[in-house]
Amino acid sequence: MRAYTESSEEALRARDLLKDWAGEGLLTQAQYQRMEQDTVCELRRTNIFLRLVMYLFTLIIVGAAVALFFEVFLSRQESGTLLLIFAAMSYAAAEFAVARARLYRYGIEEALATCSVLFLCYGLQATKPDGAQFLVPAVGAIAWLWIWRRFGLPYAFLGAMICVLGLPDYFTSSHSARHLIVAALYAVGLIAVAAARSHHRFTVLNDDYSVAEAFLWLGIYLAINLQLSPMNLLGNWWWGPRTAAEFSRPFYWTTWVLIWCLPPAVLARGVRLKDRWVIAAGAIAGILTLVTNKPYLGWPHHAWDPMLLGALLIAVALFLSRWLARGPSGIRHGFTARRLSGKDKQWMNAGAVGLGILSPHSFTPSPQPDSPDFRPGGGDSGGGGASSDF
Amino acid sequence: MTIYTRLEQWQEQGIISPEQHALLRGLSRGEPFSLFLELNILLYAGIVAFVAGLGWTVSTWSQQLGDVLILTVLSMLLAACFWYCFSRAAAWSRAEVSSPNLAFDYVLYLGCLTWSLELTYLENRFHLLSGQWDLYLWATAGLFFLLAYRFDSRFVLSLALSALAGWFGLTISYWPTHQDATYRQYAILYAVLVTGAGAILQRRGLKAHFLGTYLNIGANVLFWAVLSGVFEWQDALVWYMALLGACGASLAWGLARRQFSFVAYAAVYGYVGISWIVIRRLQGATAVLSYFVVTGVAMLVMLVMIARRFGREA
Repeated sequence: MRAYTESSEEALRARDLLKDWAGEGLLTQAQYQRMEQDTVCELRRTNIFLRLVMYLFTLIIVGAAVALFFEVFLSRQESGTLLLIFAAMSYAAAEFAVARARLYRYGIEEALATCSVLFLCYGLQATKPDGAQFLVPAVGAIAWLWIWRRFGLPYAFLGAMICVLGLPDYFTSSHSARHLIVAALYAVGLIAVAAARSHHRFTVLNDDYSVAEAFLWLGIYLAINLQLSPMNLLGNWWWGPRTAAEFSRPFYWTTWVLIWCLPPAVLARGVRLKDRWVIAAGAIAGILTLVTNKPYLGWPHHAWDPMLLGALLIAVALFLSRWLARGPSGIRHGFTARRLSGKDKQWMNAGAVGLGILSPHSFTPSPQPDSPDFRPGGGDSGGGGASSDF
Repeated sequence: MTIYTRLEQWQEQGIISPEQHALLRGLSRGEPFSLFLELNILLYAGIVAFVAGLGWTVSTWSQQLGDVLILTVLSMLLAACFWYCFSRAAAWSRAEVSSPNLAFDYVLYLGCLTWSLELTYLENRFHLLSGQWDLYLWATAGLFFLLAYRFDSRFVLSLALSALAGWFGLTISYWPTHQDATYRQYAILYAVLVTGAGAILQRRGLKAHFLGTYLNIGANVLFWAVLSGVFEWQDALVWYMALLGACGASLAWGLARRQFSFVAYAAVYGYVGISWIVIRRLQGATAVLSYFVVTGVAMLVMLVMIARRFGREA
């Protein structure tokens, strides 16, 4: 089922680990060079920036080529079947790129696979199978899942989950039932992923299952949190927060109980498995529960709420880091607060550039320039937020 | 063959010692499991939420709380943060210095944000400098630069560059609507100044690892400014040449230093600018779509060549 052999992917994983260990000084340069020779594989990778740009340009080429075909040769009425053919062609091209050029997370094969699913969904939509419109999200979800399994692209799993969101609309008009169906489908997916994962605990596939499981936990959480659910977000923006009156009281309050129960359960599983993604999903769910608790209960927000949340997050982080540091060699129960990988530092540096600039603009009030006319040194913006109006 | 089997083999071949084998085997199994990144994200999110709440509370309740209380609390918080940083920091060095502990960078960040908040409050309530925000921003940028270099903090350096951008009249939220010529000139001046300063400081060995921050911010501002000139359609040739020059420089730097973000900037910003110029001269959807197919293929071929020649990871 997988487009790549397990040995190739294991070799790439070993290469990454060796590079990281050498960077951290755990291996000498001579050791690294000797060991690296044993991890040579035929797959071609590139760095993240070139991957993103090649993904973008492949999307542009395929999109423009298909649009050009329709523009020159055909009218829109005939588009459905042809889109299905283009879907097959895109998928064949992705397979070809992997089989012949041995591309691995290279951007090109990923964009071709993405296009194949999009064309498939739009093709099905355009053919308008009467009474079977539910096929569009259903087939879309299955296609995304196939891409995820075949090429190991984590975001393809997310694509499948988004398609699942569209399914309940075709079966029921009840808001409560929609939430339940989505949560149930995600739960089935979670059970399947957890079962499959147990056979790959120490293989390269564990990473794929880890991300999928984290997405599913978050998906279940969002489906049951009536103040946040993707199905409700648009409604929340237009009509304000959901209230108990829109759902049956037992359902509403059951979901409130669940949003408090789920984050600790997810966190506990993440900690037990030592799974970074599942821990992150649990932490995000926990923070979202704290943020949405007041709207759930119908209580008003106060200006100091974010301050309390921030203080809590800081306290938890400081307590954890100190507690871990006080253990023997800075380790407790197999966890440490120390940095063990060079990748962590790279992420921190990249984040510092982006977040350091953007965050002050987003959490301080907007600057109020005295005059719309620009003048140099006018200083009507920026400054780490030193420009708000009280 | 899994990494564990490989490690066994390398140990048997005598490439790694038994101690290294035990350590690396543990690390590859997540033993010990590092929570470093998670704790950092939690601290950052906590500081951001805390200061957001503080700002919201101060702006909402300033009448009820009174100036004295607000300024006392903010000043105490500011003093506590800076006292903590100055008392715990390692001796200054021109080279990269590690933080003494996990919380250090975030205490400094909290202090800087509190400084901004207090300054804003002071000016809005007492108009000490009669609304001359440029002086505040100039002083804030200066202070943040000093702190960033004293405590080796990229977070604070980003704040300093943001404050300096504010002094130049730049802010991200203004980009879509304020693209007049004056604004553009100052954006370019800012980009050149930031890039030049970063390069000079790096050459002098003064926190050379900050160069990436300067260059990334400078390059993005420069490209936005040049692109806005291309979009405006006045003096198009000048801006077109400027865009080509910027793309060439970014590409050359990216390839020479293996910093592929600059290759990506050159490819994306350059393609957008040139496409804008060409598409406006094309007639009909067929010509436009043909343009995208042909140029897209050309760009992809070029990127694949670059990736094979310079950017291969395996």
